[in-house]
Amino acid sequence: MIKITNKDFSLDDLYSNIKSHKNGAVSIFLGTVREDLFNEKESIEAIFLECYEDLAIKQLDKIRTEAIHKWNLNNCIIVHRVGKIPLGDKIVFIMTSSPHREESIRSNEFIIDQLKTKAAFWKFSQYGDDSKIVEAKEKDLEKNLKWKDVIKN
Amino acid sequence: MKVTVKYFSWIRVKLNKSQDLFEIEEKLNFKDLKLFLIKKDNFFSEIFSDDSIKFFINFKEIENETIDIVDGDELGILPPVTGG
Repeated sequence: MIKITNKDFSLDDLYSNIKSHKNGAVSIFLGTVREDLFNEKESIEAIFLECYEDLAIKQLDKIRTEAIHKWNLNNCIIVHRVGKIPLGDKIVFIMTSSPHREESIRSNEFIIDQLKTKAAFWKFSQYGDDSKIVEAKEKDLEKNLKWKDVIKN
Repeated sequence: MKVTVKYFSWIRVKLNKSQDLFEIEEKLNFKDLKLFLIKKDNFFSEIFSDDSIKFFINFKEIENETIDIVDGDELGILPPVTGG
């Protein structure tokens, strides 16, 4: 299941979609809106998430399929919000299920590292009426690259 | 033919619009389309010289500039992504 939505979502509802007697492990990553740690002058009120939806769906589907095959997952759910998201609220949710914990944990980390650099979403920090583009981070690219050899094998 | 060009992130902000629909008379490839866009607005020369920006035709990343552009195509111009 892949979903791009401008609405908040319930963790319990999403878990009910993945619950299975075949699962021995379910791993969750939940990305949320935090304050800007490097800006002491202004406080973030929210972020705005922009998306090229048709492309992002294809990119997320490719990442999800790759993870399912590599780690033999039972299931995988990816939900990404768009639009204005207040401080503290959910942005992205990844849930992976497998018979054993290693596969669900590793695949979950793989998916968020891929999503950060390969899916067509853009963040803006909102400070009152002012809005600033969030720049791409070098460390996200480095995290993505570390999976290259893992995926080859 | 008609070609849609979609803008995102700082490019959308700078152009103050999310897309354009261009009517183009002659047959062209992506390299020609770049020249066409630069003629329309010199801001595109900045975009096309920025190595961090990626270009997609109908949701597929362009790898060869000689790819033909046909009626109804959608060009996506994507700065580095920052989701998650």
